[in-house]
Amino acid sequence: MQSPQSIKSIQAGLLDGSLKMETRVDNHLASIKKSEDLNIYIEVFEEEIRKAAEELQEKINTHPDKLGKLFGVVFSIKDVLCYKDHKVTAASKILDGFESQFTATAIQRILDEDGLIIGRTNCDEFAMGSSNENSVYGACKNGHGDNRVPGGSSGGAAVSVQMHTCDVALGTDTGGSVRQPAAFCGVVGMKPTYGRISRYGLIAYASSFDQLGLLGHHTEDIATVLEVVSGKDSFDATSSNTPVDKYADLQAIENKKFAYFNEVVNHPKLNENIKSSTFDLFGKLKEKGHTVDDVEFEYLDYLVPTYYVLTTAEASSNLSRYDGVRYGHRSKEIKSFNDFYHKTRTEGFGLEVKRRIMLGTFVLSSGYYDAYYSKAQKVRNKISKAITKMLEEYDYIIMPTTTDIAWEIGAFDKDPVSVYLSDVFTVLANLCGLPAVSVPLGKDANGHSYGIQLISSKYNEAKLLNAAFSFQNIT
Amino acid sequence: MEQSWETVVGLEVHVQLNTATKQFCGDANIFGEDPNLHTSSISLAHPGTLPNINQTSIQSAIKLALAIGAEINYENRFDRKHYFYADLPKGYQITQDNLPICVGGSLELDSGKKIRFHHVHMEEDAGKSIHHLDDKASFIDLNRAGVPLLELVTEPDFRSGDEVLEFISKLQQIVRYLNISDGNMEQGSLRCDCNVSVMPVGSDTYGERCEIKNMNSKKFAKQAVEYESKRQIRAIANGEKITMQTLHFDPSNGTTTPTRDKETAHDYRYLPDPDLPPILITEDLVSELKTKMPLMPEALKAQLMVEHKLSSEQAYIIASSLDSSTYFFEILKSHKKPKPLANFFINTLIPYAKANEIEISAINVAPNNWSEYLSLIETEKVNRKDASDKLFPEMLSKPSVKPLQLAEGLDIIQSNNPNINDQIISEVLAAFPEEVKKYKGGKKALVGFFIGEAMKKAQGKANPKTLKSDLIKALSS
Repeated sequence: MQSPQSIKSIQAGLLDGSLKMETRVDNHLASIKKSEDLNIYIEVFEEEIRKAAEELQEKINTHPDKLGKLFGVVFSIKDVLCYKDHKVTAASKILDGFESQFTATAIQRILDEDGLIIGRTNCDEFAMGSSNENSVYGACKNGHGDNRVPGGSSGGAAVSVQMHTCDVALGTDTGGSVRQPAAFCGVVGMKPTYGRISRYGLIAYASSFDQLGLLGHHTEDIATVLEVVSGKDSFDATSSNTPVDKYADLQAIENKKFAYFNEVVNHPKLNENIKSSTFDLFGKLKEKGHTVDDVEFEYLDYLVPTYYVLTTAEASSNLSRYDGVRYGHRSKEIKSFNDFYHKTRTEGFGLEVKRRIMLGTFVLSSGYYDAYYSKAQKVRNKISKAITKMLEEYDYIIMPTTTDIAWEIGAFDKDPVSVYLSDVFTVLANLCGLPAVSVPLGKDANGHSYGIQLISSKYNEAKLLNAAFSFQNIT
Repeated sequence: MEQSWETVVGLEVHVQLNTATKQFCGDANIFGEDPNLHTSSISLAHPGTLPNINQTSIQSAIKLALAIGAEINYENRFDRKHYFYADLPKGYQITQDNLPICVGGSLELDSGKKIRFHHVHMEEDAGKSIHHLDDKASFIDLNRAGVPLLELVTEPDFRSGDEVLEFISKLQQIVRYLNISDGNMEQGSLRCDCNVSVMPVGSDTYGERCEIKNMNSKKFAKQAVEYESKRQIRAIANGEKITMQTLHFDPSNGTTTPTRDKETAHDYRYLPDPDLPPILITEDLVSELKTKMPLMPEALKAQLMVEHKLSSEQAYIIASSLDSSTYFFEILKSHKKPKPLANFFINTLIPYAKANEIEISAINVAPNNWSEYLSLIETEKVNRKDASDKLFPEMLSKPSVKPLQLAEGLDIIQSNNPNINDQIISEVLAAFPEEVKKYKGGKKALVGFFIGEAMKKAQGKANPKTLKSDLIKALSS
C-alpha cells in the first residue's frame, strides 16, 4: 500500500490532472471492499459518491477557480452524525430505520467546500464504549489483523483512515473516543476545544463533554479540515464566538514547556513499550531545547469516577427522547402505557447503554443528587481550575494516549469497569473542555500501535497542531 | 363552640407568551391550527437537535418582572425536568428550577391587599394528548410542544375564591398591557393550578393542601376554590384527615374529584441543561425595557380620574385594555374633552369592537376624524342618533373621507340658521290658525303638536332644540 497523500498533494494532483476524482473514489471503494471483514462501515454511499466525484471532476475541469477549500477530500462520517436524507442510527437498534431530516453543521460546512462523503462508520452504540464492541452491527476490528479492537467509540472512523478507505474521518470524542482509537490504529486523532465545532447534528451522549473530532494520516490535513468546520453556529448555543485561527499555517515549535504527571508515567497499568517510548520522546524533546517537567497533579484517581458520574447523568437525560413514539424502534408487545416505554427501550438499547442510563438515572435521583452528581460537578470544577492554572505556566500537558495497546475482541466482556478505567488518560481533556491530540508514538514488536497525547489551553488548537506537526518528525 | 375556618390558596399560573416562534426553535407559535403543522426536527426531538433560546421570551419575562416589581436574576439558567409522556418529545421539559429569571414581586387587589409572588420562571409547554377520539389509540398534537410559558408561583396569600378571581382578571390585564400574551383562558394561553388548604381562623399553620389542576376559566377557579375549601372543612368535621392530592374540577356539577393519574411521588431528576449556557441579562437591556414599559392599568386609571376627571367607572373601562387606552389618548390629543370622549368609547366604540371581535386599534379611522365626529355632535350639527346610526358606520366604511363631508352626503346636517326656523314656523302657524287660537287661549299642551308639524317640515335639517325654543317664542308673541 502506497503512503497516503496529504490533502495538499491530492488537490495539486487533481489540478494538474495527474489525479482524477473517479480513480480516487474507485481506490477508496476498492479499499472498503478489501477490508469488508473489518466491519468498518455501516453503510457505504457508493452510487452517491461516484456521482459527486463525477460532478466535482467536471467542476475541476471547467471552473478550477471556484473550487472549495476541501475539494476532492473524501470523508467518512461516524454513525452519530446527521446527514439529511441518510440513515443515522448511533449503532443502536432503537434508531432502526431512522433517516435524518437535516445535516449536521460540520458536515454541511464540508459539503459547502466541495468535500465528499463516502459512508457512515461503525461505532459503539451512542458512542458509549472504548472498543467499538458495543454496536448493534457487531464489533469493528482493528486493521492490524490479529482480532483486536480498534478502540472506541469512533472505532470505525479510525479503521476507515487506517485502511485508506477515506482521507479524513469525522468522529466524536466524549472521553477519548477519537484519540484512543487513533492511538490503537496508528493515525492522528484530534478533539478540539469544547464549543469549537458545532454539535448541531451530533447525536448527544453527554452534552457538556461531546465534541466532534477528526482523524487522519497527517496533522496538516486535520488542520485544514478543522479550519473549515470550526466556528460559531446559531443552532448550537454552546458553540463559541472565538475567532478561528489559520490552523493550516503549521509552524515547527521551539522552546516550549511540556508538563507530565509522575503518576501517569509510573501508572501500574502502563505498558512497558509505551513507557519507554514516552521517555525516549521526552529525551528527544529536551535535546531539541524544550522543557519537559514532572508536575504534580493530585486528581488523577478522580478523573474516571467524575467522568462517569457526569456523563452517565447527562446520557440518561439525553437518551430519554428515544421512546418509539415519534420515530425509531417501537416494541410490538405493547399492552399498556408503561409497556410503551419499558419494552421499547428494553428491546432498543444494548447492554452498555442500559448500564449507563441506569447509572445516570441513579446519580440524578432525589436523595443521591448531592452525593454524586453535585459532588462530581464540584470535582470537575476543581480539576478544571488546576489544569487551567498548569496551562498558564506550561504550553502542553503530555502523556501517553492509552495505558496499553488494543486488546483482543471480547477480552473485557465481563469486566466493564476495567474498560472504564482504561480511559484514565483521555477523559481529562473532556472534563476540562480542552483541545487534545493523539499522535502515533510507536509500535510494539508485534506491530501494535500506540500514541502520545498533547493537551493545550482552550482555543489554542493552532499551538496544539504545531506541536503534533513537529512530533511527526520526531517520533 | 363551632370552629370557624379560613381558606388558604396559592396559585401557579401558566402564561403562554405571544412570541412569533417557539421557546427553543423557529416553529410558529400559533393556536388552533391543524395538528402537528408547527413542528420541526427540533420540536420533535430528533436525534442531533439542540435548543436555541428565543430572546423575545426573555424580554417578555423581564417586562413582567418589572410590572410586578420582582427582583431579576441577572444570571439565570435552564434546567431539565424529566418525565416520560407521549406529548413530551424530549422526555424532559426545559424549565427553570434553581435559578429562575426573577423572584418576589406582588400584585395589589382593589382592597389594597397585596398578593406576593414567590418567583416567575420560564419554561416550554408540552404537546397535547387526545384520548377521547378512539378506545384503543391516543393522538398526539405537538403544535403546542415548545411554546414559551411563564410560570408565576404566588405565595399562599389568597383567602377566598373572590380574591382568586380578581387576581386572575388583574393578571390578564397586565399581560395584555405588556403585550406579552393574549391572556385568553378559554384557549389555554393562561391556565392556573390552585393549591387549596384550610386552617382554623387565627391560626398561622397551614393545613395539608390539595392541588386543583388546569383551571381554564377564572369563574371556575373561584367555584373550585370555594367547593374545595368547603369539602375540606366538611371532611375535617367528619374526623377525616386531608391528604395531599391532585384534583380535577368538573364545571358541570361544580365539584372536585381526584385525578385518575396514579399519584406516585415524581422524581423529576432536575439537571442543569448542558445544551444552554446560563442566561446573562444586562443592565442595559433592563433599563431599555424599563423606558418602554406602558403605564400599568391601575396607574392609568388613577391618571384618568385625577387629570381627566373621569368617573371611576369610566376610567376603569378605558384603562381595562392597552388597546382602548392608547387609542383614547390618541384622540384626546385633538379632542380635549375627556368626558364626552369617554362616553363615545363606552357607548359606541368599545361595543362596536366587541361585537365585531376586533381590536380598537384595528379600526382604520384617523383619531382626528373621531375628534371631528364628536365636534359635529357637540356643536349640534348632527344629532346624536343620526351620528351613531348613520355617520358612524359611514366613517368606518369610508375612513379616508372627512366626517363633515360624509354627513353632508348623508344629508343629516342640522341647520342653526334662524331664517330656516322662522320660515318653518311661519308656515306651520299659517297652516293651523285654529290650533294657534286654542294655544293662545290656554291649551299649552298643543306645543307638542306644533313641534311635530315643524319637525316634519324641517326633515331633520333644523336643530330640534332651537326650533322648539323659537316656536314657543313665536306662539307667545
